[in-house]
Amino acid sequence: MLLEANKVTKQFGAFRALDGADLRVEEGEIVGLIGPNGAGKSTFFNCLVGDMTPDRGRVVFAGRDVTRATPEEHARLGMGRTFQVPATFEDMTVAENVMVGAFLRHPERRAARAAAEKIVERVGLGDLAEARARSLGTPGRKRLEIARVLATEPRLMLLDEALAGLTPAEIVRAIELVRQIHASGVTIVIVEHIMEVILSLTGRIIVFNQGRIIAAGAPREVVEDPAVVAAYLGHSLKRGAKPLPAGEAPPEARP
Amino acid sequence: MKFGGREWALAAGAILLLVYPLLAQGAFFERLGALVLLSAIGASAWNILGGYAGQISVGHAMFYGIGAYAPLMAYKLWDAPPLFGVPAGIAIALVVAVVIGFPTFRLVGHYFSMATIAVAELVRIVVSNWDFVGAAIGLMGPATSRTVLDLSFKSSVPYYYLFLAVLAVVLGVTWQLARGRLGYCLRAIKASERAARSLGVPVRRYKLYALLLSAGFTALAGSLYALMIGFADPDSTFGLLISVDMIIIAALGGAGTLLGPLIGAVILVPLREVTNSVFGGGGSGMTYILFGGIIMLIARFEPGGLMEIGRRLAGATRRRPDTTPKVADRAA
Repeated sequence: MLLEANKVTKQFGAFRALDGADLRVEEGEIVGLIGPNGAGKSTFFNCLVGDMTPDRGRVVFAGRDVTRATPEEHARLGMGRTFQVPATFEDMTVAENVMVGAFLRHPERRAARAAAEKIVERVGLGDLAEARARSLGTPGRKRLEIARVLATEPRLMLLDEALAGLTPAEIVRAIELVRQIHASGVTIVIVEHIMEVILSLTGRIIVFNQGRIIAAGAPREVVEDPAVVAAYLGHSLKRGAKPLPAGEAPPEARP
Repeated sequence: MKFGGREWALAAGAILLLVYPLLAQGAFFERLGALVLLSAIGASAWNILGGYAGQISVGHAMFYGIGAYAPLMAYKLWDAPPLFGVPAGIAIALVVAVVIGFPTFRLVGHYFSMATIAVAELVRIVVSNWDFVGAAIGLMGPATSRTVLDLSFKSSVPYYYLFLAVLAVVLGVTWQLARGRLGYCLRAIKASERAARSLGVPVRRYKLYALLLSAGFTALAGSLYALMIGFADPDSTFGLLISVDMIIIAALGGAGTLLGPLIGAVILVPLREVTNSVFGGGGSGMTYILFGGIIMLIARFEPGGLMEIGRRLAGATRRRPDTTPKVADRAA
């Protein structure tokens, strides 16, 4: 077991954002987290990566209890995350942004630079390595965030709506990138609203509603679960959505 | 190293700094040169924390004041050459930096700035009322030069070269820092602490390193001030305006750039000296009206300072990729 969260609970005043959420992720999996806005996905995500400390419950990563560990410790242990709103270092170049991640495993500047250059090429930003992050559009920023995390050489990558705001054609390319990363041996947990993305990428999905997990399992079964349809999807995806083959643009499928 | 326009400009600037005392005739201009360098040291020291790491301290006067008082205390207590007190000033500043760093670094943005103002003002008030350190009157150095170790010279030229050497050290250390892991990580912290942390940057430890370096060099600047002027009182060393000076000088030239503070000092210090001499005793008020106007112009039009304007101009002629807008969409 790579990541295990047990009965994670988080309360803000009288509002219980997360109520005993469980998650088990095996090495090599791609797991999707879905649910309506305000369902507790982001709170759960933040508890997993160390941005928030759960009030109750336990998070174990690679055999270590990380419930109260800082985000720095999570990164050192091999857990990387992207942000829903890209948090690129605006005044630094693309390569410099990635170097900040690369320094974690390569403290010497030249080694960090070499590692960063390889990753920048790998995510398709090679031409823009010396451009400042502020000059990038949304797709470039999302890619840069993924590149930065890759530079930390993670075992587990948590993607927080990494594909939101992309055009259908960009989504197809981004899915391809996520697949490549997964194929290189990185386990992935992805929070996403675009159902086609979830269906094409994940082997298992977990559905949140009102701070609780209401369904979990294989994507096809879960999207047909009446509770999930009622709480989130609004209609069954039985006939509509299908996984995206590489190179095909997805239809809009936001619930 | 390839010698381009930038390298020639740097070499010309360095030569100009070296020969300035030979070109500038008269005590006024010699003193002005030394004061420019002293301000450049202070602003460069502030720049490590405020410019690179983006932690806008408005309380650096406390380190400057500690640095200024320590040599004069060494003279007062033991009749020692003030120079001997310099390491003690730096050491005390470092201890103070650690003590205030831990609680204040929990605060971000304006809250951090306000906390540094509060601590620095507290220190100024304590110093102003503490007889042991001369209270409101302050401290004097040796009236006449007893030995060469007193570093008491009639001309400003020896100070000019002393300050130039110290500035070279400060800039050398900053340059080395900026191109290594710490420099990259401080810039990342400045842009987004949360993102830096998620990439494994030990944010609090690195901010503390930046504060220690910054505080140590600021104390050294204060010591140099005391060695040259031979006198320090609470307002001229611990005063809020000392901190404000450092910030405006660094911001005008370009906070977070190596040479920004020096460029800012070359422009602002002569301006300050001229307004002081034109308007006499009331001049200090005029100076700060001017400085206030400059802050507004920087904040409104170019937060990156003059270095950023220079970079844009260079970019416009060279068409660097980072000046092309929204180019990433074609890549992703």
